[in-house]
Amino acid sequence: MNFGYITIAEAAKLLGVSIDTLRRWDKKGKLKAVRRKGDGYRYYPIEIIELYLKDIFALAKKWVTDPPALPEPEYYCPDSLIFKNRLGRLEKDLSTMDEIKNIFPLITAIVGEIGNNSYDHNLGNWPDIRGIFFAYDVNKKQIVLADRGQGVLKTLKKVKPSLDNDNEALEVAFTEIISSRKSEARGNGLKFVRQVISDNSSFSIEFYSGSAKLFIKQGSKNLNIKNSDINYSGCMSLIKF
Amino acid sequence: MIINLNKFGTTLTSRQDGKEAYNAFLSTLQAVPDNEEIEIDFDGVVTFTPSWADEFITPILNTYGRRVKLLHTDNPSVKATLRLLEKIK
Repeated sequence: MNFGYITIAEAAKLLGVSIDTLRRWDKKGKLKAVRRKGDGYRYYPIEIIELYLKDIFALAKKWVTDPPALPEPEYYCPDSLIFKNRLGRLEKDLSTMDEIKNIFPLITAIVGEIGNNSYDHNLGNWPDIRGIFFAYDVNKKQIVLADRGQGVLKTLKKVKPSLDNDNEALEVAFTEIISSRKSEARGNGLKFVRQVISDNSSFSIEFYSGSAKLFIKQGSKNLNIKNSDINYSGCMSLIKF
Repeated sequence: MIINLNKFGTTLTSRQDGKEAYNAFLSTLQAVPDNEEIEIDFDGVVTFTPSWADEFITPILNTYGRRVKLLHTDNPSVKATLRLLEKIK
């Protein structure tokens, strides 16, 4: 096999699972192998295995709670143009997955809304690091976005001064039509995210801002807002599909 | 006239891009005779969001009202976006 690929036995060892498990994951599409013409054996690109070993959500969480530093370049989108480019790549990668071929534009759309929100609401006002962390893993079916911006409460307080805490701010952000950018008539991104998740049984989202955490499960309208185990200025989301 | 949105791109997501598209297209729109319908065709668009639509479709709907016709599409992100815009009108 070409350089950059490993055998199923090697992949199993790295991942700490059995060869049978990897065969099952391949059949289910959880972690797809490639077959070589001729011998028909399963091989795995080493970078896919390395990605699988990484927990992108843990990386994002570490980045937002650590002292200010740039994230790993492969996950860092300093400006909206780079984000747009990587969003295009996500769209392309999702479009090749049979199981979501009819709904993948909804995933790209909600990721686009969340990512662009970070830029729109923090332009010129980033507290320390400009830009966002954006990573996805099509095998684990997870997408993570995070920023070290001002967070939902501070942003919304500009147009709704009565807001008192992060939990309230999340509720308003996901339910009320309101815009904190005065030049615009509306800000609908997070309402759209809620609508898409509640109308479909295929996605869920965890959204963190300040000391609050929200969880909308597949096909549900409920926001399930609670206090989160982390507290930081900014927004972070984990989308599963 | 027919506005083929895919001429602006196939991943139409940010406010910034929607605004830029609207500004660039304004002179073409202004040249449309008063009695002509404006049809918006989503064919070929892959990902569409309320942010982009709010900067492009909303001002066109506000200016041209009933003369605007949104052509049918099966794309789920277009349908979800139009549903949200309808809700907040």
